[in-house]
Amino acid sequence: MIPALGEFALWIALPISIWGGVLAFLGGKWGRGDLVLSAERSVHAVLLLLAVASAGIIAAFLGDRFDYWYVSNYSSRNLETYFKVSGLWAGQRGSLLFWALNLAFFSSLAVWLNRKRNRELMPYVSGILLVILAFFIVITLFITPPFERLPFTPQDGRGLNPQLQNYWMTIHPPTLYLGFTAFTVPFAFALAALISGRLDARWIQITRKWILTSWFFLTLGIVFGMRWAYEELGWGGYWFWDPVENASLLPWIVATAFLHSVMIQESRGMLKIWNMALVCLTFIMTIFATFLTRSGLIESVHSFALSLDIAYAFLGFMTVLFIVCTVLILWRLPQLRSDRQFESFISRESAFLLNNLALLGAGFAVLWGTMFPLITEGLTGSKVAVGPPFFNQVNIPIGLVLLALMGIGPVIAWRRASTRNLKKNFMIPVGAGLATGLLLVALGVRHLYAILTFAIGVFVLWVIVTEFWKGTRARARIEGENWAIAFLHLVRRNRRRWGGYIVHVGVVVMFMGFAGAAFDTEVRQSLMPGESVSVASAFGHEYTLTYEGLSTARGQNMWQWIALMRVERDGEHVGSMTTERRFYEAPPQPMTEVGIRSTFTEDLYVILSTLDEQVGMGNEPQFQRATFQVMVNPLVPWIWYGGLVIAIGTLIAMWPGGPIPGHRPGRTTGSKVVGREEGGGGTPTPDSTQDPDSGPKTPTSRPSGTPAGVG
Amino acid sequence: MGFFLGIVLATLVVFWVLYPVVAGQEAPMERDDEELTEAQHRKRVALFALRDVEYDYHAGKLDEEDYLKMKREISSEALEALDAEEAEWAEREGRRAAQAEARGAEDSEAGEVGGRDSGVEDEIQALRSSLREGVICRECGQPSPRGSRFCGECGSALRATGDPIEPRTSSSGSAS
Amino acid sequence: MSRDRRFFAGLVGVAAMVTWLVWTGISDTMVYYLTPAELLDRAAATPELIEQGVKVSGDVVPGSYQAASDELLHRFTVSDPDDPDVQITVHFRHPLPDTFTDEAEVVMEGRYVGNGVFEATEVLTKCGSRYEALPEEMRDGDYGEGADYGDYGEDDGYGAEPSGYVGGVG
Repeated sequence: MIPALGEFALWIALPISIWGGVLAFLGGKWGRGDLVLSAERSVHAVLLLLAVASAGIIAAFLGDRFDYWYVSNYSSRNLETYFKVSGLWAGQRGSLLFWALNLAFFSSLAVWLNRKRNRELMPYVSGILLVILAFFIVITLFITPPFERLPFTPQDGRGLNPQLQNYWMTIHPPTLYLGFTAFTVPFAFALAALISGRLDARWIQITRKWILTSWFFLTLGIVFGMRWAYEELGWGGYWFWDPVENASLLPWIVATAFLHSVMIQESRGMLKIWNMALVCLTFIMTIFATFLTRSGLIESVHSFALSLDIAYAFLGFMTVLFIVCTVLILWRLPQLRSDRQFESFISRESAFLLNNLALLGAGFAVLWGTMFPLITEGLTGSKVAVGPPFFNQVNIPIGLVLLALMGIGPVIAWRRASTRNLKKNFMIPVGAGLATGLLLVALGVRHLYAILTFAIGVFVLWVIVTEFWKGTRARARIEGENWAIAFLHLVRRNRRRWGGYIVHVGVVVMFMGFAGAAFDTEVRQSLMPGESVSVASAFGHEYTLTYEGLSTARGQNMWQWIALMRVERDGEHVGSMTTERRFYEAPPQPMTEVGIRSTFTEDLYVILSTLDEQVGMGNEPQFQRATFQVMVNPLVPWIWYGGLVIAIGTLIAMWPGGPIPGHRPGRTTGSKVVGREEGGGGTPTPDSTQDPDSGPKTPTSRPSGTPAGVG
Repeated sequence: MGFFLGIVLATLVVFWVLYPVVAGQEAPMERDDEELTEAQHRKRVALFALRDVEYDYHAGKLDEEDYLKMKREISSEALEALDAEEAEWAEREGRRAAQAEARGAEDSEAGEVGGRDSGVEDEIQALRSSLREGVICRECGQPSPRGSRFCGECGSALRATGDPIEPRTSSSGSAS
Repeated sequence: MSRDRRFFAGLVGVAAMVTWLVWTGISDTMVYYLTPAELLDRAAATPELIEQGVKVSGDVVPGSYQAASDELLHRFTVSDPDDPDVQITVHFRHPLPDTFTDEAEVVMEGRYVGNGVFEATEVLTKCGSRYEALPEEMRDGDYGEGADYGDYGEDDGYGAEPSGYVGGVG
């Protein structure tokens, strides 16, 4: 019943979204509030209908309705319940519906949040959101129908791919989808600003907040994906430069560039065209990512089947988006002129500009590397492959430049910085970085990129910590607060700045984690119970693992062969760990569950790679020979710590509220200011005497609407 | 049952969506008074820039010479924005008054508008003079008249920030 | 104006750097992606190909897989998808992917060392397309009368290594 209702709801969602989309544009054009209200209600209605449709899919999964093609292909009776719920996004068909649901959620949220604000933009915002929603609903209905029935009802489903039977499966895709779909809202605002011609400072502010929100989810989603790959794919790595991973990285890169260059527009009124183009590009990249993943055009171990329908649909949609963006930007070009020029080559603006170029350069390299095989094959007919070595070779130098900029930016002043000051401010951090590099060389490290990463990383950390320290010190001194309070107030006063710095700290920590990969060590050995294997870590520890034996266990959906290992570090017993091999029943497939033992600095990563054939036969030790691959991955935990720090920093930066100087909401403050009418001209002259009465004002005269948390 | 529920759902949704068009219920189409206008935005940006300059100077990233020069520049940007805001305000009030007149509106409305208007005049004047020679709050960027000990916007203490135009002497001299 | 020119020069400089990085990156790391037949042809024509990195895809010959647990070496034969008689022997010393069976379609990276032997450094199974394409076949009526559900499981195409993993990522 519920699945049928869901399918019905999905069908109704299409006319409603089209109706709303048309009405929104008409309402905006004619200034008709009733049409606009109807359109905005359509947005909420589409959310409701898509939620019912998704509930229908989930109900079909929970009710083991194998007469549904999608359920029979991604579920089985013995699948654990929470994997049945996450079945909604386990495969192409459901996940496109899930995508539309996320999009509807953010659309509805945006419309609701702006029910009283930005009203001149909202008709177009709703219209654009509804058109995009309609596109995804059309795809869901006609190309990848999740409610398609089989002509018969199978006894059981084919089961979920074991690699998806992992708790990250329930977390990673939704986070990523939230990130991807949330980019639609800022895009809609940008287009609405272009259409309505209201290109003042407002749209950029709304857009920035939304992009930051999407960025938050996308970053988390990517990091979760890395974690999943690390735990589940079982080859000791977390990033493979697979086309699909690259696809998720592209919008992230462009959005990161926007988040930096938008500051120049906000504070200096420059780069308006650039920022507009970046917003459009971010959204087009999310569609491109979907296209790449779902069309199967680029060969990837990750991708879905080759589906030309989807390829054409998305390609067409991308083309339309591209043309619309270009035309609108060209049309509004006169209004997008910069208010000012760059004042100096040595300024924070320049650092931001360089950051933008480097980011887009990295994005271009990733895009080129991903598309190169397809382009080459199309042009010359010969097939080539571009793999991780290419991406590393190109992106590591660019990444290092970006890393260095994170340390340079905060120290350079806006507009222009004098060289003398630069010298003064850079001396110590650069010294710290150099010292780190030299120390590493002295310790015998010879890996150039790793040394650079650590040296630059220390330089950046030094700069940021100094910034925090200086700010806190100044506050503590001026306000007479104790240091902890001063620190809190410092961050609260300018959350964007300090939140951003915290994000940078997270990025540095993460980069150091990446650099750790240069020092991975591994050993592969076939062992009988009681035998042991030793591996030395880059930090000089010697791990000895003793294979104690194999046991079997029965899970809900699988058999587990669990190898128990006794772990000694530098001859000292530190515990035991297990590593498994599983044999799933539906679908019938083996699966490696790696054992990971994390310390602050390194992971011990054990793969049970082969068992002897007879293992199933008995528990006698002679049948228990197994081959292990033991790796020590230094600094991998830092990647996850870095991700956490980035998340915290982003939350600080995006938390709503904050000081708005000079703004008095409601303008009801007539009696507030006791102004002194000074006749003098523009030049500041200190010789006018002050009337003591005019000076101090008690905080009680503050208008209630002003953010009180500022002090 | 499922079919019946579907019909009910569809009917409700369609009714709810169409209702505004049928009944003439309208969504607001104009800028709300609470929102920042373009000039207010520019003012806000200039004040933020003042705060940044102040911070950069105190953090040692700016020379005194550069600092003074930039402060003068940004102050004049802020003053421009203030003028624009004043003009915007006058225009809006004019429009509103005209509307009220056209509607033959109640007097109370007009009276209130007038009251608010003069308040804004005062405020802008005060801000302007503060910008010329006042103290910038390091907390929120709001300028206060010279010699102020507390920020008029957020109530933070302003002492020791000093009047940057005349770095050390003025605040201690005049405030005591 | 000169300020603008300096910015412009900076921009061009960065663009040139990126282009150079991408260009050298591609030419340094690009490898040919061949079928076993193409690999053998090329190796015969240009002996330099030996010892050079290539990527090869093909079908594992059923029953050809041999594991020597002492040597930790996997050995199997891969045939050309178009011409099953053209075969190469693959040596691989790392853990095989979970989805590897001796009927799998594999993508390998490594070097051709001559005498029909390919030293793989990486082996991936490629089942993703089969995983999703299967139902299309079904829809076309592969499961005609009498075909029970079990029939379409015979393909064993569940490999889809991370096909679903990506289900998440799209």
